[in-house]
Amino acid sequence: MTMTEGTPRAVSVTGAVRTYGTVRAVDGIDMSIARGETVALLGRNGAGKTTSIGLLLGLEEPEAGDVRLFGGPPRRAVGAGRVGAMLQEGRLIPRVTVRELVTFVAHSYPRPLPVRETLELAGLDDVADRRADRLSGGQTQRVRFALALAGNPELVVLDEPTAALDVEARRSFWTSMNRYAQRGNTVLFSTHYLEEADGNADRVVVIDRGRIVADGSGEEVKRAVGGNLVSFDLAGSGTAWLRDLPGVLSVEVRRDRAFLRTTDSDATVVALARLGALRRLEVTAASLEDAFLALTAAPRPEGATR
Amino acid sequence: MIRYAWLEVRRTLREPAFVIFGVGMPVLMYLLFTRLGGGADGDWAATAMVGMAAYGALGSALSQGTVLAEDKTLGWLRQLRVTPLRPVEIVAGRALTASVVVLPAIVVVLAAGALVNGVSLHAWQWGALAFLLWIGTAPFTLLGLGNGYHLSAQTTGLVNMGCTLLLSIIGGLWFPSTLLPDWLGGIAQWTPAHSFAELGLSVTRGSHPTAGTVSVLAGWLLLFGGYAVHAYRRSARRV
Repeated sequence: MTMTEGTPRAVSVTGAVRTYGTVRAVDGIDMSIARGETVALLGRNGAGKTTSIGLLLGLEEPEAGDVRLFGGPPRRAVGAGRVGAMLQEGRLIPRVTVRELVTFVAHSYPRPLPVRETLELAGLDDVADRRADRLSGGQTQRVRFALALAGNPELVVLDEPTAALDVEARRSFWTSMNRYAQRGNTVLFSTHYLEEADGNADRVVVIDRGRIVADGSGEEVKRAVGGNLVSFDLAGSGTAWLRDLPGVLSVEVRRDRAFLRTTDSDATVVALARLGALRRLEVTAASLEDAFLALTAAPRPEGATR
Repeated sequence: MIRYAWLEVRRTLREPAFVIFGVGMPVLMYLLFTRLGGGADGDWAATAMVGMAAYGALGSALSQGTVLAEDKTLGWLRQLRVTPLRPVEIVAGRALTASVVVLPAIVVVLAAGALVNGVSLHAWQWGALAFLLWIGTAPFTLLGLGNGYHLSAQTTGLVNMGCTLLLSIIGGLWFPSTLLPDWLGGIAQWTPAHSFAELGLSVTRGSHPTAGTVSVLAGWLLLFGGYAVHAYRRSARRV
């Protein structure tokens, strides 16, 4: 990653470390986000996403390293109203309407969006006068999103915005998010769904065990984490030859079925066909969980303790 | 800060429990204590009026801490930390909210005293009484906020309710502290609620609060203020 001269980047993190007791939740991460970019922070539960976001927003102090938003300390950027955030698992306070809540947050910023526009962007027109504590899960999530963008901040940070949403609510959420990003704002969101990261971000940063393990476009990251998964029934044949197939990164055998992670599924399948080994063949995109297993299966330098 | 307080005042007044227990209860108890057994003499009507107004105001002030603890649990305080609002504005907004929501109890009980029980005071006395009862809630607001920052939501609710009852009873807000056992009566003089009620009672006697009363209450103000600041700082690291 290169630093550009001139206007400071929206986000610039160098060597940030944050530990809780003996757990290194964030273990030396570097991350840089240009203005106007939409970046996904992708990782499993407990990978360090929320801690990274806490550092970014100045809710946590790094023990080592440096975190800058727009060239200054995070708290200054937050205080100046340049940042909006949707934190994980926040619930809404009772006895206020959605409109009152959005209005209140909007007016704490120097140059807020008109409330009507925020409600429209977040798809809350219908429930604006309902009480915030009496909404469905999807509606609540949209209100929390509205609170993040109500102040018209330059940088919006969303921590697992679609957690606990059903498919329909998820789709409508991303529609709103993309509409907001298209206005030239910088967006950073975290997720543990590879397809969400790939489909909604310009760039994907993969974090695991507090370290950044991949950083690039969705395509690049998918390739880096091991492309596709080819599976078929072994029907009693041995397994030694599987590793020698073209493109194969890793092999796993479960109940007489082989699961091959491959960088080039076409080549792998053609080779299998030649060997007459196509029994109940399936090619699927590698799930993130599978990908991480592959990425983290390599022995760590200090020896994995967990 | 003003906007925050305004949001919080609306929230508090929409809480049925606040209206029932924070405002309704003191009035009900006042009327019960003074009307049972064929009415009360003028002195008791005025004394009980001050006591019950003080009890209602004290309870309302402390209840702000309970709401704060609930907001903390909901993650709302953390959400506020990612807005441009500074933490100190949040605390100040809360205190400002408390200073508004104590008013209904004071006004309603004093009105009941004047209209139902015919307590008769000079205009300046009514004014001074309401003002002193209003300003005197400050230590209790700080105690409630301290508890709110320090404790979990559930514990805060119980502790603040316990504080309200304990302080009210020992402080002689429900019945004169002269009715307490001697040893407790001696301690009662030094409790915050007793000094708080004394602020008002001195006015109903046509006098003004003594330096002793004021300094005892000021001492509690400092103590509870220190507690609130300490609890706030401690919680700011985790919220």
